[in-house]
Amino acid sequence: MMTELLAARLTMAFSLGFHIIFASIGMTMPFMMCAAHFFFLRTGKKEYLELTRMWMKGVAILFAVGAVSGTVLSFELGLLWPGFMKYAGPIIGMPFSWEGTAFFLEAVAIGLFLYGWNKMNRWAHWATGLVVGVSGFASGIFVVAANGWMNAPQGFDWVNGEALNIDPVKAMFNPAWLHQTLHMQTAALQAVGFAVAGIHALLLLKGRSRRLNLSALKIAMAFAATASLIQPLIGHFAAQRVAVLQPAKLAAMEGHFHTSTHAPLYLGGLPDEEKMEMNFGIPLPGMLSFLAFDDFKAEVKGLDRFPRDEWPPVLITHVAFQIMVGIGSLLAVVSLLYLHFLKKNFFPRSFLKMLVPLSPLGFIAIEAGWVVTEVGRQPWIIYGFLKTKDALTPVPGMQYHFLLFMFLYALFGLMTIWLMKRQVDAAHRNMGDERV
Amino acid sequence: MFEWLVAILVFFIGASLVLYIVLGGADYGAGILELLPSGGLADKQKKIVNMAMGPVWEANHMWLIIVVVILFMGFPLAFNTMMVSLHLPMVALLVGIVVRGCVFTFRHYDAIQEPRSQRFYTWTFGLSSLWTSMWLGIIAASLFRERINTKSVDFHEAYVAPWWGLYPFTVGVFVTCIFAFLASAYLIGETKDLELKRLFARRASVFNVLVLFVGTGVFMAARRDGDDLARDFVSDPVSLACMVGAILLFGLLWFRIETRHSWLTRLVAASQAGLILFGWFVVQAPNVLETTDGPMSFQEAAAPAATLIQLNLALLIGSLLIFPSLFYLIKVFKAK
Repeated sequence: MMTELLAARLTMAFSLGFHIIFASIGMTMPFMMCAAHFFFLRTGKKEYLELTRMWMKGVAILFAVGAVSGTVLSFELGLLWPGFMKYAGPIIGMPFSWEGTAFFLEAVAIGLFLYGWNKMNRWAHWATGLVVGVSGFASGIFVVAANGWMNAPQGFDWVNGEALNIDPVKAMFNPAWLHQTLHMQTAALQAVGFAVAGIHALLLLKGRSRRLNLSALKIAMAFAATASLIQPLIGHFAAQRVAVLQPAKLAAMEGHFHTSTHAPLYLGGLPDEEKMEMNFGIPLPGMLSFLAFDDFKAEVKGLDRFPRDEWPPVLITHVAFQIMVGIGSLLAVVSLLYLHFLKKNFFPRSFLKMLVPLSPLGFIAIEAGWVVTEVGRQPWIIYGFLKTKDALTPVPGMQYHFLLFMFLYALFGLMTIWLMKRQVDAAHRNMGDERV
Repeated sequence: MFEWLVAILVFFIGASLVLYIVLGGADYGAGILELLPSGGLADKQKKIVNMAMGPVWEANHMWLIIVVVILFMGFPLAFNTMMVSLHLPMVALLVGIVVRGCVFTFRHYDAIQEPRSQRFYTWTFGLSSLWTSMWLGIIAASLFRERINTKSVDFHEAYVAPWWGLYPFTVGVFVTCIFAFLASAYLIGETKDLELKRLFARRASVFNVLVLFVGTGVFMAARRDGDDLARDFVSDPVSLACMVGAILLFGLLWFRIETRHSWLTRLVAASQAGLILFGWFVVQAPNVLETTDGPMSFQEAAAPAATLIQLNLALLIGSLLIFPSLFYLIKVFKAK
């Protein structure tokens, strides 16, 4: 039987893992929808209208699931971690209050956009779609900034287990907010862009509505490729910040057990926590020192500098980090390929075939990235101040809570996928499914 | 200064709750109405509910989130107490919110509209609306009348007893009736179909009478637990006025529920629900909740002033952005 703490952590992990997919879609897909809508309003071509409506229905469904799963999270902070909220609420509630405002605007705008066809001025209607995207994007930034505070807490004085002299503004603009938000928002654009592109590549391969699907592919890839080519730079920036702010997390990410200069970067590998060594990894000598501090000779703190009970789970953090970086690199390479074919204005079938299996990869990278952030911060919930176990609710029976929400998420996850398939089928029926 | 910061936040909580009840509550009510036999009008009713709720329900839902955010940022002590002692009903509420929001959207946006799946969505939407509004009432009732026990380590005493009992469940039924009443009263003006208008008008009357009966039942249930809630309501002039006002409006509405004057009907219905809620606030003021150890006032539960200033600022600026856009939303979809 799992412990109460583990059950609560898993519940939170799955709630966040579920929500982040819908949140990512909710804050980036409206921009793609707006682009298609813009082209429709400018050209009057039917395929852009069909595409806008198809994506709009997708956004409507996914937004609703995102909104309710987000509601669950706002409650779960208190239901699972009252010991955390006691301190965190007053200190880091500010970005949440702004997120509330942004999300409210988003909810109003989405109502206007979804139901406002033929009821408003065409361009005003278009603009409401843009507001959905902008406010959704802003919501994401606020929430991730709040998470940044858990990694790099500031804006209070810790006196005898109490937080005094609270400064919410300083807390919000904590040292981790910038790299985390940049990294996450870009990742959302990548993941959603590639997911959408992959779906339309599949439809192209099946020979369905060529004009619609090609336009869709190009719009989605415009976002995905741009984001994927910037992301390596942002990721590098993020890693450098983590090296300074949370050296234990960086050490776990890299499986770096022993403090050293000329620290090696491992490709792959499975860290062994007991023996404090890395198995099967390919070391690139000095690269970790260079990546973390721009200097091959720099000393990188290993896990040996931290008491054993303050180590994050090394294996999970390292493997998740490798998955994220691996996918990120792959998507960057594919983006270059895409630009090459775009220049020639010809997409060979082999390239389309390659895009299809890439569809879920961006989301897997996002999940892996959040595992790095969250598992890599353990055993702390507020880094350096409060341990996760001390924040846990006294209510017993967290296992049942976990099972209940797992069941709900599985159910609604599957239903959403089923509905998306029905959307796509219906949209093609509307286009007369011309096979050109 | 500190008192003022708290007072403004209490105002925002109260206003958000009233808006949640009179706007979001009607959305719950619409689901409940769809469970009732409608004499062959079910499909028409579904269309009206989809069109009436579709553009606004997510915005209406936001008022609850605003309350939650104000509580956890501004009144962390109260938020934590609620989330620990009322853990079980909160989870029940969440399950309802998730199921309801999802199936309502699925029903409307399912690209393939077939009777079997549509029937499933409608039933799930209706039952989850009923379920969620029950739990909203139960939670509201559990917060006061010294039901919450923060000291006990006994599972039943600490986590079940606060919400388990005739009184909280009666309040749950009461809230359900109010929501169904609001939905009926609002929906009259959403349709041009005379048959449907009559159906909604009839339901509005029935649920209004039910509100009165179950409302009396709430006082009786409290009395049964040895709690003279009725006296508290009557002894304060403001809550007494609210109660009298709600009853007077009841009379007015009784004669005015008809197929014309849809905005007047809506306004009267909303005021009635608003007055009931406001009366309840007055009886409980200045407390955010009451435990077996005594009341916890908003002031006692409040975060430091620096936090309250930021929260007030966010709410004030947020209001400047939200209210105009909300009016625009209503203007586009509800103005005839």
